[in-house]
Amino acid sequence: MSEEAVDVLIVGAGAAGAAFAWSLAETRMNVVCLEQGGWMKPEEYPTAGVDWEMRRLGDFGMSPNSRGRKEDYPVNDSESPISISNFNAVGGSTILYAAHFPRFHPGDFKTKTLDGVGDDWPVDYAQLAPYYDVNARMMGVAGLAGDPANPHHDFPLPPVPLGKIGETLARGFNKLGWHWWPSDSAIATRDYEGRAKCINLGPCIMGCAQGAKGSTDVTYWPLAVRQGVEVRTQCRVREVTLGANGLADGVVYYDADGVERRQKAEIVVIACNGVGTPRLLLNSVSKEFPDGLANNSGLVGKNLMFHPYAMVNGVFDEPIEGYKGPTGCCLMSQEFYETDLSRGFVRGYTIETLRGNGPVSTALAGLGGDIPWGDDHHREFANRFDRSAGMVVICEDLPEEHNSVTIDTDLVDSDGIPSPKINYKLSENSRKMLDHSVARGTEILEAAGAHNVLSQAPLQPAGWHLMGTARMGTDPAKSVVNEWGRSHDVKNLFIIDGSIFVTAAAVNPTNTIQALTLYIADTIKKNLSNLFD
Amino acid sequence: MSEGTQQSPFSADQRRALVCVLDRIIPPSADAKMPGAGELGLADHIEQVLRKTPDLLSTITDGLEAADERAAGSGEKAFERLPDSERSRVLAELSTTHPGFLPSLIFHTYVGYYQHPTVVAALGMETHPPYPTGFPMEPGDLTLLDGVKQRTQMYRDA
Ligand SMILES: Cc1cc2nc3c(=O)[nH]c(=O)nc-3n(C[C@H](O)[C@H](O)[C@H](O)COP(=O)(O)OP(=O)(O)OC[C@H]3O[C@@H](n4cnc5c(N)ncnc54)[C@H](O)[C@@H]3O)c2cc1C
Repeated sequence: MSEEAVDVLIVGAGAAGAAFAWSLAETRMNVVCLEQGGWMKPEEYPTAGVDWEMRRLGDFGMSPNSRGRKEDYPVNDSESPISISNFNAVGGSTILYAAHFPRFHPGDFKTKTLDGVGDDWPVDYAQLAPYYDVNARMMGVAGLAGDPANPHHDFPLPPVPLGKIGETLARGFNKLGWHWWPSDSAIATRDYEGRAKCINLGPCIMGCAQGAKGSTDVTYWPLAVRQGVEVRTQCRVREVTLGANGLADGVVYYDADGVERRQKAEIVVIACNGVGTPRLLLNSVSKEFPDGLANNSGLVGKNLMFHPYAMVNGVFDEPIEGYKGPTGCCLMSQEFYETDLSRGFVRGYTIETLRGNGPVSTALAGLGGDIPWGDDHHREFANRFDRSAGMVVICEDLPEEHNSVTIDTDLVDSDGIPSPKINYKLSENSRKMLDHSVARGTEILEAAGAHNVLSQAPLQPAGWHLMGTARMGTDPAKSVVNEWGRSHDVKNLFIIDGSIFVTAAAVNPTNTIQALTLYIADTIKKNLSNLFD
Repeated sequence: MSEGTQQSPFSADQRRALVCVLDRIIPPSADAKMPGAGELGLADHIEQVLRKTPDLLSTITDGLEAADERAAGSGEKAFERLPDSERSRVLAELSTTHPGFLPSLIFHTYVGYYQHPTVVAALGMETHPPYPTGFPMEPGDLTLLDGVKQRTQMYRDA
């Protein structure tokens, strides 16, 4: 097995790896994906048990440092106010994601031209639009056409229910005359392509037991596998190796038993996310690339972008049925999305409203004193349970070289591979944007009738969106990959995840990661005869 | 060994004190709709937690013994003999002398209490996990969007 070269070797079976594999499957090339995690069993997800709320503090937590699964690798994020969240399995971080699925705006690809910050992308909205459409069909995106904040796009599925909380907050937005719209959501709101419809279980961020959420283990992967793609699970790649001709010739990985193996390949595609990808490249050191593979620009691991998040919550007088319905998908507002310098910062943010909590989470959220022990306990619990809700705010982060992923040689995973280290500082622009968003969030909640409004900004566990660490561009001195994801330095090496983002926009990234991946896969298919020229 | 036959990590006195402490952390509600955490049997839940996190055991047992000792100091034989107001006072004092005791017990009491079927039912929720039944929801009133629909293009062309 190991001495035979496969045509295409993908590392990482998450959002990007899955879409890419599906797209290439039609070529009938020999496509293999190596993934350090395994296949998940949706029927074992937390919402199938009475202790469902607590498992977010255990094996379904967001942080690989506390989750304690064998397939996780530790991340040193002690030098960052925002910590890394991910999941390692077939489906990658989409196993946990909230499935909030907006598109970038056309202007997000042109921040330099429009606002003099960041850089323009070498691709634009018009080029990606057809791939957003394919992705909507493949992931099963629910929504409502006609949003004035976005270019027109249609949806295969009707929007997620607003619920009582959505209607309550919508009235608040309306009172202020501010934009809102039902969220684009990768959630099957009707039975769809073999997936059962959403039954409003609640915490999508602990995996969807119903299989209604569009995680790639239930969308792209089954189709890709049926068409002949091989997913080799529990296989953790240590490094990409370089042949004598200056091309990547395969990878070295550890299998489920920890045995070191080698897989040769004609084309190597990296899809390990904005932290896993620079980690792999920086660990792939050779005579030709002493500072990490494909790193002649010195930009591998640089320009790490998160979306700094704010969270604003309030308490309502009436029950809001907040524990029902997809946690992170309800409605969103882009009133403050486009640049308006009078606000004191450049670029903008999206507001994503949240539903409420179950009883255990409500009680634990009150541990700070809001829900005391003793005689007042029941009164204060009743004031909050099913009455607390609010929003998160997704702020656009700008690329800054000092925000980075490097290697911590002292911290290793269970196969002994050195781990990533995060260095990140919140910019002044982000700080101002967060403050602005908290003030506006408070106004919205109060207009909707909430009191006791509390906020956190930046939200520490919110390193959900990992971008920019192997940016794309046309100039090899200023970017790691070209306009279709191919390394400037190693002509058969492609990067397809959020690492290649030039800027971050102010929306959740996965729809754009996948649209870009599908675009890259199509470009590869069109250029197969002269791919390495 | 089955759950029922497992040996308690507590002495009989400690267990009696624990039940009273739990009833003070979450007492029965005035309208009797919500049970006290002790009367609900959450001492069993705490025992289960301690089997999984044995490091916590001495923090809890030391705290329980201190509660009994303080009761003795006020002339009673045991914590369980104290009236509610006195129990609260003793527990508040233990926050200073035994700082780990109350916070960890409160955390695990809240967790055990609010996933207990009796409590979940008293809150008006179904007692089974969310899956596979789920929750029905209406689509919601999309006429609320009428004003937003009147707005002109908000994004910039590029
Ligand atoms: C709690 C949470 C909520 C989120 N909510 C949203 C949301 O609402 N909307 C949204 O758009 N995004 C959301 N995200 C982000 C979203 O999940 C990611 O943007 C998306 O999954 C990234 O896709 P990817 O393919 O780049 O990486 P991932 O999906 O992370 O996949 C990378 C895969 O590579 C594998 N891998 C890494 N290194 C190696 C190696 N060396 N060898 C073998 N395999 C390796 C990993 O195991 C993993 O499976 C959320 C994320 C989290 C954690």
